[in-house]
Amino acid sequence: MQLDFTAREVTVKLVYYGPALSGKTTNLQAIHELVAPASRGRLMTLETKDDRTLFFDLLPLMVQSGGGISIRLKLFTVPGQVIHNATRRLVLQGADGVAFIADSQTGETRANQAAFLNLRENLVENGLDAASMPLVIQFNKRDLPDVRSDDEIDRLATKGKEPVFKAVALRGQGVLETLLGLVDVTWRKLEQEHQFAERFGVQSDALLRDVRSKLGLPGSEEIR
Amino acid sequence: MNPAMSSELADVARLEDIVDRQALGEVCLSFFELFALPIRVFSTDGTLLTDVHDEQAVCRYVNTFSSGRTACSGLVADVRRLDPSEGPIDHPCFTGASYRIVPILYQGRRLGRFVVGPYVPAERREVPRSLLVIDPGVDPETARDALGQMPRVRLETVERITAHLGKVLDLILFSGHRAFLTTEMHVASVRENYRALTEKAARLQDAYDQLRELDRLKSNFLATVSHELRTPLTSIIGYSDMLAAGVVGSLNEEQAAFVETIRGRGDHLLALITGLLDMNKLEQGKVSLARQPMQARDLLEDVARTILPSAIKKGVTVSAVCPDDVPPLLVDPVRIKQVLFNLVENALKFTPKGGSVRLAARRTELDAPDDGGGMGLVLMAPGRPAVELSVQDSGVGIPPHEHAKIFSAFYQVDGSATREHGGTGLGLAIAHRLVEAHGGTLTVESAPGEGATFRVVLPEQDGAA
Repeated sequence: MQLDFTAREVTVKLVYYGPALSGKTTNLQAIHELVAPASRGRLMTLETKDDRTLFFDLLPLMVQSGGGISIRLKLFTVPGQVIHNATRRLVLQGADGVAFIADSQTGETRANQAAFLNLRENLVENGLDAASMPLVIQFNKRDLPDVRSDDEIDRLATKGKEPVFKAVALRGQGVLETLLGLVDVTWRKLEQEHQFAERFGVQSDALLRDVRSKLGLPGSEEIR
Repeated sequence: MNPAMSSELADVARLEDIVDRQALGEVCLSFFELFALPIRVFSTDGTLLTDVHDEQAVCRYVNTFSSGRTACSGLVADVRRLDPSEGPIDHPCFTGASYRIVPILYQGRRLGRFVVGPYVPAERREVPRSLLVIDPGVDPETARDALGQMPRVRLETVERITAHLGKVLDLILFSGHRAFLTTEMHVASVRENYRALTEKAARLQDAYDQLRELDRLKSNFLATVSHELRTPLTSIIGYSDMLAAGVVGSLNEEQAAFVETIRGRGDHLLALITGLLDMNKLEQGKVSLARQPMQARDLLEDVARTILPSAIKKGVTVSAVCPDDVPPLLVDPVRIKQVLFNLVENALKFTPKGGSVRLAARRTELDAPDDGGGMGLVLMAPGRPAVELSVQDSGVGIPPHEHAKIFSAFYQVDGSATREHGGTGLGLAIAHRLVEAHGGTLTVESAPGEGATFRVVLPEQDGAA
């Protein structure tokens, strides 16, 4: 997070993490499509020739809120391939919140678990507290056959402490809900640490509503 | 962290950090050539990054008057000071011309501004009074002519042109930013990988140092213990010898058998301890070879003679074959006999009654070690002339997956066979190291049930003859 008091500007870093080919870049592409053009920058991808993310993707979103606060969201993806661990760790540096994009296919369960363990390791390596990192989990590719059932995900979601979303990122379903969920948990954590309400005179709820409408997003409903 | 670039957020703070000034200048120049509109690009702090313009006739004319010069520099200062924080600004000049000042936005942040002008709005028909009154000497006709030479553009056209220039600049910024991030990320990744590898290498080095220390301790321990064991053992064997020889009185049959058992076991133990000491010396490279020229035939026949009584007892035939063309070898005869004796003893041990053990020698070549990954093969492939001494048996054989292991110390193909066949498990390990100390190789060819052939290949030494 970067705070510029004179410009009343807050920059928040959100990282999309997950196993290879789980749809992290697709999430950003869908967000780029769906968000109001005035509020988004160009989607920057640093990729290899076969469309695999090499370093990261970056989508900047900008919101001028009613309270005179300028909120800049920097959405990053990490490269999912195992060999790019150093890059993942670098991209994760200074993250304020993480969206973990899991592949719903039952065959990918192990890959999801390995990527999640890798996320925790890299958070620790970066000196970040894995337990208190704002996190949401998205089960992507809900449209594919042989995926983990809704019942199973719903049941497990109620047991975990982080919000869980279901998505078909290719069709743009569930991606904004995931983003808003992430902005929500991240902002509340940052609010606790930095007391924006007190310092800027703007209440979190009002501000988050503002962010939502300025981005041109519909209301969201998470699973639980 | 680069002070101008928040690398964690991939943020851009200054225009000049990501834009290539030359490329920016070229784009502005081509723009100027197309629309004849002067362009200047400023960063946020007012630094002029690009300036493409022609001096206009009206400006030249105004500057001939001292009051005109003052008014002109005041206007230029105003234009430079204007901050288009709320969007583009159109600023009029007293000459009747106009400037358009446009913010350069990137990712929602103002990184600078560009100024297009002066130009005359197409809507203007008359020379403005503000120009005529600048000095009493201003001639209205000359002023009209000069103003007429300035590019005339409709305001909405200027808006369209500046919007287009804004998009082009945005693309240049985006490309520059992307290239900057790629490079930065590349360097950072390499550095991060290097850091991780260095850490790992340090951990491995630590572990390696510890292992080496342990190995040294083990060797010392073995050397000390073996030495300490050997001293009393020599006495045990010596006194048993004396007892058996009847030095202190004759023994009855049972006593003699007991003493013989003590002596036999004592000998075995001594062989084991000597083997351990040998291994230790070989591992530490402390064995010195007393090389001398030897005929392969003599070596083979000597070994065959030594083993013959045991072979006859077991009902196994022993033969030694050596063609005349086999050249002499420059070896330590004691050590090479130790190797051959070991192999022959082994062969006999695993060959059942009625089988055979065959010793042979022949000329061959020793393959050059391929440590260049096939590089310079044409030079390296011809091997050195060598002599092969082989020991072939018709015994139980050794499964292929065991071949690499049998030369390890204390390794037995069949743990239970140790009890059946005896042995210290050190023989082949010592033989292997002794052959290597001679610059040769020791290999095995075998399959279960088809016997085994051990081949000792020793390089011919210059001067062996």
